[in-house]
Parts: sequence; structure tokens; C-alpha cells
Amino acid sequence: MTKKRVKVFLLVLFAVYFGAVFLRVDYFPLSWVPMYGQRQTGEHVHIVIGDKTARAKTGFIAERANGERINITRHDLNVPGTHFRRFFHQRAYNRGPPQHRREREQLMPFNKWWYDTLIGPDPLLTHNYALELLDSVNKTLGYSENDPMRIVRLEAKVKVASYSKQELADGDIADPHAKTAIAIITPEQAKVVSEDGTEIRDLDNASFAE
Amino acid sequence: MPASPNKSGSRIQSSIDRFFFDWFPAEALGAVRFYFGIGLFIYMNIQYAHLFTLDPSGAQFHFMLPIWYFGLLGIDHITPWTIYAAHAVLLASCVLFTLGKWTKPAIIVLLISMAYMKGMRDSIAGDVHHREIPIVFCLIVFLVSKCDRMFSMDAKRKGWGAIEDWEASWPLRAMQVYIVMFYFWALVAKLRLSGLDWFEGGGRIQEVLLSRAVRDGFTSDGHVAGLSLAYQLAHHPSLVFLLGSLVFLFELLSPLVLFTRDKRLIILFLIGATAFHLSNYFLMNVQFFFYPFVFVVFFNMAVFHRWIKGRLPLARQAALN
Repeated sequence: MTKKRVKVFLLVLFAVYFGAVFLRVDYFPLSWVPMYGQRQTGEHVHIVIGDKTARAKTGFIAERANGERINITRHDLNVPGTHFRRFFHQRAYNRGPPQHRREREQLMPFNKWWYDTLIGPDPLLTHNYALELLDSVNKTLGYSENDPMRIVRLEAKVKVASYSKQELADGDIADPHAKTAIAIITPEQAKVVSEDGTEIRDLDNASFAE
Repeated sequence: MPASPNKSGSRIQSSIDRFFFDWFPAEALGAVRFYFGIGLFIYMNIQYAHLFTLDPSGAQFHFMLPIWYFGLLGIDHITPWTIYAAHAVLLASCVLFTLGKWTKPAIIVLLISMAYMKGMRDSIAGDVHHREIPIVFCLIVFLVSKCDRMFSMDAKRKGWGAIEDWEASWPLRAMQVYIVMFYFWALVAKLRLSGLDWFEGGGRIQEVLLSRAVRDGFTSDGHVAGLSLAYQLAHHPSLVFLLGSLVFLFELLSPLVLFTRDKRLIILFLIGATAFHLSNYFLMNVQFFFYPFVFVVFFNMAVFHRWIKGRLPLARQAALN
């Protein structure tokens, strides 16, 4: 290549890579490098307190269509522990991956236009992550829609701590005010309930820090 | 008197030429390829280590959210044994790239097998990681450059002559630009998404420290089961704010390193960047800790190679004989 051709190549290469930054493209291998750029909105920040041992040993408490109750661990799904944690702490609670959560945040009009026109609607509005998890589990275990062995209920249990922004700013985090949140996923709906069975509605997904 | 358009145009041209073409000697590119390849071999093993906890004959997990190219290709589940096969291909191509044997085809195979492994890892739950992005950029530049013309088995076998300095210089400078701008764009992204609120109080860093520390719960004696240092640090928002301010400064000023030839300043910057990645790993388990291997593109590694060779007992013995 001559120097002139090298310059043209570099111009095109950087136009593509840095153009992706301007257009907020985050599709591998292009990125606008947002990683941990999104801070949670709202007055409170929710943080999941997990239990690694219980997650590994018990996993999801599941129920088959024939009424049998079983446990589904990462070994049953044959996935790495880190991914199982994401299922257990996030997807079961209908929280999507960070890419989805930030994709349409604070878009300038031109970027909003091209996203809406070329990509489609906001993924947060088109996905039900909890139901997609149940679907993946059944497909992985080889159960069809009418199979009596199919999983019709998945249950995950974690504790959720809530801190006010003021408590965080003061470093006052010794008492996490944690409450138990149980995700229950059936083919019809996914909901989060407390230990006494009442539905929890104040766990705004946008307020979770991960 | 104002400069004429022709003069200012040629001044810009010569600045661009100096920036890209006049930085490294010819020997540097092949040597960087060699050391980059060694680092990449280790990095790839770290990146996909989680996948080797899968049972090769176990269940075939159906992806929750396939990465875009898996969606296009209709790949919707893991076939576990293919992970082992693809990783073997990935590592073999990495070795060939390092040694400079069938260098260009090796880069293409590397890119494809990396995309496969990444797709397998990231499609399970849908979290698409950014750890391969600068690597892909560098490999594309290696592919287009004459990185196989020196310091390679291909060059020895085919008897290729030396390349010119500018042919070695521009690929390394292009890689430097992307690697450095990756930090700068990360700052821009924070400001675009969250504004200065990202840094306020303990800011986003404190939230990540806390969430990463407690995600595996507490032990029976009340200590966090995971990252205890992160948990301790989260209690001190002023200290976290100070660290956040350092991150802000580091990311803001990072492009300046592209304009200095002062080795001490470059090394200072790279030590800062390495400390940044190691801290992120030890405090938040962010898996970029071996990423600093890419910093070999800032140096003429041929000098380093001669230095290390002079210190290897076998090489010294051979020279004496």
C-alpha cells in the first residue's frame, strides 16, 4: 500500500469506529464504550443480596406440568455459574442485560430516529425476560409445549436491599433494609412477591445497581 | 501574514505524516505482533475460561438473547463440544499469528473463532461484553499491515526483505489511537448517559462496589462472601469520589499520550492504566485485568526482544559458541 492508500484506509476505519461512537452503536465489534456509564435513576438504589451456596445447591425451585417439584441448578442447564447468577438475580425478575437498559437512554433526536427506524422498538418494551427464561429452560431440557414434564413454574428467591441516595452519600450502608423478593414465573405471567405472598410492586427495575 | 491555504494544507498533511508514519522503525511491527500474540493467547484463555465449566456431553442451552450475528445465522443454542473445538482453533491460530506462520490466514481464523466463542459466552444471558472490541480493531490493522514481513517464519521462508519504517509505524499508531480513545470515549459515554451525576457522592462506582460485594451474600459471621475490600470501600463515599475523580482525569487526559515521545510519560500513563484495570478487577471483578498486554503497541518491542535474549542463558551460551 502507498501512503495515500494507507491514509484512505485509516480514514475509513476511524470513520466507522468513531462514527459508531457518535451514533451510539453498541453491536460487536463496534461500540461507543458505555460499559458502566449508566447510573441508576430514582430516589432509591436497589441491590440484590445473593446467596451463592443456595443458588448453587438449590437453584430454581421448579414445578412440572404433572405437579412434580424439582430443583434446577446450573448443572441441569449446563451454563457457567456467572450466567446462572444473571438468570437468578436479573432475568427472573424481568431485568434485561445492560445493553437493553441503556440502549434508548438519553438519545439525541438523530440517534433516536435511526434506532427507531432501523432497529425497531425499545427492547425493554418488547422483551419479557422472565418468560423468555422459562422458554429457554424448557427448550434446553427438551420439553415441548404439551409435554407433562415441561416446567410450568420457576421460583427464585433473593434479598433486595434498598438504600436512599442520601444513605449512600453518607456511607450509611451498614443496615441494608433488606427484604425477601421471590420471583415466580409461570407461562401466563411473571411476578415478584414477598414471603407472605403479597405482590411487590415498588422494585423499579431502573433503580437496580449491578 | 496568514498562511496560504496551500501552505496550511501541506502543514496538516505533514503533521498527519509525522503522527502516523514517523514514529517507529521497521523492526517494531513484527516484534509487537510477536508479543501481542503471546499476550492474546493468555487473554483468550481468561476470557472464555467460564465456558470450560460446561459438560461437553451435557444439555444444550437455548440462548436467551443470541448476539446479533448468531441471530442472523440461526444459531440458537450451545453445542458444548464445539466450544472446545473452536477454542483449540482459536489458540492454534493465535500461535501461528505469534510465530508469523501463515500470518494473514491465521488472523482471519482468529477473528472468526473469537466471534464464535464470544457469541457462545454472551448469548447465554444476553450480556454482551466489551473486552474483545479493541482486540478486533488491532487484529484488523495487523491484517492490513505488513506485520508478517519481519520477525516471522513467513519472512524467513520466503526470504522477504525489510519493510520501510513508515510501513511499520502507521499500524502501531492506529492501534494506539483506538486503545487510548477507548478510555476517552468511556468518559464521554458516562457524561452522555448520566452526566456528572455519575461521579456525585460515591457515584456509580460506589453502587457497583456494593452490588458486586454482596451478590454472593454474607457468611454466617456477617462478613460479605465475595469482595470484602469493595464492601469496606463502599462505606467511604469520599474516598470513592476521589477514586472517581482520578478516573475522570485519567480518561479525560488519556489522548495526550498520543502526542508525546517521552518514554517516561508514556510509561507513567500505562502504569496508571494498568493500575486502573487491576483495581477494577480486585474491587469489582471486571475481567479486563490482563488487557494491559495490548500496551506492547506503545513500544519498539524489538529492543526489548534483544534485551531479553541477551539475558537468556541458552541464547548467551549460543552467542559465546
